Amino acid sequence: MLIKTKCFGEVEISEEKVITFETGLMGFEDYKKYTLLNNSEKESAISWLQSMEEETLAIPVINPLVIKEDYNPTIMEDVINPLGDLNDENVVILVTIRVPKDITQMTVNLKAPLIINADVRLGAQVIVDNVDYPVKYDIYEIVKQKKGES
Amino acid sequence: MLALSRKIGESIIIDNNVEVVILDIKGDQVKVGINAPKSVTIYRKELYEQIQTSNKEAAQSEVAFNELDKLFCSNKSSKNNDIDKKQEDKTDI
Repeated sequence: MLIKTKCFGEVEISEEKVITFETGLMGFEDYKKYTLLNNSEKESAISWLQSMEEETLAIPVINPLVIKEDYNPTIMEDVINPLGDLNDENVVILVTIRVPKDITQMTVNLKAPLIINADVRLGAQVIVDNVDYPVKYDIYEIVKQKKGES
Repeated sequence: MLALSRKIGESIIIDNNVEVVILDIKGDQVKVGINAPKSVTIYRKELYEQIQTSNKEAAQSEVAFNELDKLFCSNKSSKNNDIDKKQEDKTDI
């Protein structure tokens, strides 16, 4: 189906690219259907979680291992049970990125990652038990440093 | 909002399957116990609100997505971007 997106104009999204968040995202509880978009030409590590229902709702997301290599959240099994059987092959973990006007203040949310079962395309945002994972984890310096290394 | 008075050890039942028990009261702190099906998620409200706010701010990320991509792509592809840009410039001329 053809949907309007925040960053990529009108995009054709096939049914199997739709990810359902049964309980929505925190703060956007009413929107359940999303798709992941990225700028494939630029090999960016960033994707956008674009709402299928609301054009203006798109959240930049990234694989947490890109910015925190030892990211290993402790998640209560009950919380992710509704996503079906998760294993190394089908699980996709993403964290949301907050980019304020001052880009140096950008953060990721390590406390509430998005967990997705790629096989059945079900996702959930969960709050993890790890006390040392903040909601706002500064990443600008880390990203800059990584870019310098590569 | 429904307001109910309860004593220590008393509880309320919500929707037939969630029980909230008053375990202890010390000064201005109340210890609450919750018995609920495993599928019910229970969070401290202030943490939930922090994450709601964080998500809303993330959805309003101001920087153009191209700039973000530049920051997150490898140097190799950023060179490509420069080439792309040059080509674009040429087409402009």
